Amino acid sequence: MMETTAEDLNRVEKKNLFASGHRACGGCGQALAARLVADAAGENTIACVATGCLEIFSSPYPDPSWRIPFLHSLFENVSAVASGVEAAYKALKKGPVNIIAQGGDGSTADIGFQSISGMFERGHNVLYVCYDNEAYMNTGVQRSSFTPYGAKTTTTPMGNRTRKKNLPILAADHGIPYVATATVDDYRDLQRKVKTALSILGPKYLHILAPCPLGWGHAGDLTVHICRLAKATGLFPVFEIVNGKVTNVLKIPNKKPVEEYLRLQGRYRHLFQKGEPSGMVAEIQEIANQNIERFNL
Amino acid sequence: MEKLPLGLALDLRKVVPYKTGSWRTMKPLYIMQTPPCTHSCPINNDIRGFLRVLADKQDYEEAWHILTRTNPFPATCGRVCPHPCEDGCNRRDYDTPLAINSSERGVGDYGLEHSLEHRKEVLTPRKEKVAVVGSGPAGLACAFHLAKRGFGVKVFEAAREPGGMMRYGIPAYRLPKDIMNREIEAILRLGVELECSVKVGVNIALDQLRQDYQAVFLGLGAQMGAAVNIPGEEAKNVFTGVGFLKDINSGKIPEVGRNVVVVGGGNTAMDCARVAKRLGADVSIVYRRTRVEMPAITAEIEEAMEERIMFRYHTNPVKIISDEDRVVGLLCVQMELKEADASGRARPLPIPGSESVLPADTVIMATGQEVDYDGLDNIGKRDNKWISTDEYLMTSLARVFAGGDAVLGQETVSAAIGQGLRAAAAIEDYLEGNVESSLASPPVVYFKDMNSYYYTRKKRFSKEAIPVHERLKSFNEIYPAFAPGEIIDEAGRCLSCGLCFNCRNCLMYCPDNAVNLHPATGKYEFDYDFCKGCGLCVKECPCHYIQLTLEK
Repeated sequence: MMETTAEDLNRVEKKNLFASGHRACGGCGQALAARLVADAAGENTIACVATGCLEIFSSPYPDPSWRIPFLHSLFENVSAVASGVEAAYKALKKGPVNIIAQGGDGSTADIGFQSISGMFERGHNVLYVCYDNEAYMNTGVQRSSFTPYGAKTTTTPMGNRTRKKNLPILAADHGIPYVATATVDDYRDLQRKVKTALSILGPKYLHILAPCPLGWGHAGDLTVHICRLAKATGLFPVFEIVNGKVTNVLKIPNKKPVEEYLRLQGRYRHLFQKGEPSGMVAEIQEIANQNIERFNL
Repeated sequence: MEKLPLGLALDLRKVVPYKTGSWRTMKPLYIMQTPPCTHSCPINNDIRGFLRVLADKQDYEEAWHILTRTNPFPATCGRVCPHPCEDGCNRRDYDTPLAINSSERGVGDYGLEHSLEHRKEVLTPRKEKVAVVGSGPAGLACAFHLAKRGFGVKVFEAAREPGGMMRYGIPAYRLPKDIMNREIEAILRLGVELECSVKVGVNIALDQLRQDYQAVFLGLGAQMGAAVNIPGEEAKNVFTGVGFLKDINSGKIPEVGRNVVVVGGGNTAMDCARVAKRLGADVSIVYRRTRVEMPAITAEIEEAMEERIMFRYHTNPVKIISDEDRVVGLLCVQMELKEADASGRARPLPIPGSESVLPADTVIMATGQEVDYDGLDNIGKRDNKWISTDEYLMTSLARVFAGGDAVLGQETVSAAIGQGLRAAAAIEDYLEGNVESSLASPPVVYFKDMNSYYYTRKKRFSKEAIPVHERLKSFNEIYPAFAPGEIIDEAGRCLSCGLCFNCRNCLMYCPDNAVNLHPATGKYEFDYDFCKGCGLCVKECPCHYIQLTLEK
């Protein structure tokens, strides 16, 4: 395990272990998040990546962007593969090494849910990072179980009618030692959480909100701003769960109405016919209010 | 050929990364912008520059050198300038503007305390010599810049000591004479010659100077009180504003008596009133319009009011009443304001039958100043009052340049310094035969262009003026200086509008790692091989140092 001091945890890392030349869209939140995670984890890391945008844009032969060992698996089994890597290291008495399983929201919450649940339950020493862009962006913006209420995707053209699955809580309820959520705008916080997670033995889960300019319908330069609004509205609570206890909740002193967040994104445009907010906006505000109350934001 | 490991068709070590820069339609650029403080400063001081040096390195000496690149009088301007820079400060739209003026004063004082020397920009002396007429802010600033650029400069001053209106027009509670003297000495140490008690046009002809020197700069100032022509003016104890201040500042303290009436609403009127108050008199200011139309600096009006000077608006003097040649009162009439005149201010008209007498032992007519054209009558004039110049500050006479109050009309010390600076550049261009050397400055950055998320709110630091009863006992300065640490803290509030301050946002937020820190220069650079032009760095740059331009 890494020996980490408070100074180590708070240091911002920029090593470009996830290098330029990848094929992500301009302003991609996931590409930004992947680099922040890789740089925070450092050279002694193995990246296991499920199928999805990240794998597609970062790994085409012969010029992958990864400057650390990289293992591509299927949509559904990245956790199982990472578990295997960890078991292999244990069996060969090698290591220690940071093993990070990574996937998008589709492979995490839908297709790969059984394998991630198994990995948590078996207690492998793996950090699972979920890049949450709230739909299957890789295959053309189809609804996933992380798609928020009201958002338009190609499979929910009138707006999604279900609420977002709350995976951080589900993960914590497996009894794993560390769960955290983060966004790409606060890179210091994000890297601190990666390093904190890697300093803990056992399965860990990190949930990163990574805006998708293409799927969310916003300009690439707004990626960071939108993350900030997601936090400030209460729609994306940022917290840690250490040994089952919610701690370190990011307080939002100046709460903003969800409308400000929704209006910037094309996927919510249908909620503002002729400029007026529809009833769904009030329901989304209610979701934000529930988050604020639940996590005491 | 090297044998590849089994299963590999390509040697990964020899692969050139895919250059995603070809996707780009928009291109980010690091472009330094003009901050609004510099833009609104008549001298265009590099305010952001000196504040950043203070905040980042606590380096007062470097800060002084940055300020004196343009302004040889930081300690003086730090006291008397009405600081339009603070009105421009983008922090105004965020919380409160920076205390730039007080910081400048602190840096200027540091320079004096440590006897810092100005740096010459051109080390080899040039053969051309320039005569500067008048040692006020315009003349000395012009001499300063010419001397720095290697020219031989001689300054001719009509009065016994240099400084012009800074010496004879500004009371010591606003500008201690010692401060100004030492700043002038530092200019003279650059090799500027100074000859006092020589009035050009009287003791020496302007044409003589034109023969002996390759160029002449006229910084005559507006030293003569304008006549008002009201009956009784010739009585004793009737002064012009400038005459009164000149007496005071030369050490001749007139007997003002108990009641003093000052006529006028400009800075000279305020200064006269506040000086008379310090001499122990009851002072009222008589002005024919209202406070809104008063041309004086707001702070001076407010301070005069704090010092319990009575303001009588809508009042105009008609006649000075005297008894045995000594003033006893001022007959005034009430005015009403009609539609605006050519100056844009409401036109006052007397109300018949509203005359009344103000008791007065001294009357000071501070109703305007004029240029003393004694022996210089052949120069071209504007409105028959001020010297007219072309855009390069050259007068109707070839090789004769002019600036300061004599050209602008009554203006501030800073405006005069700014004119001196520009005239020096124009003279250099003229003597070198350059058509135009000055480049257009980059556009001004305003708060709406900036990303305020990254700044923290912090109130402007200020120090209370000393209490009024203490002020009135002496001619000491009324505002205490900032301590060095306080200036550093205040400098830390600078938003650095339009110039990088190493926040690392572009470096950290680029999803394509297309921003690199150059190891040698310490500056950020775009790697256009990989930049996709998403504009994230532009949006997240707090100070608008990055701009998106069209990819060619």
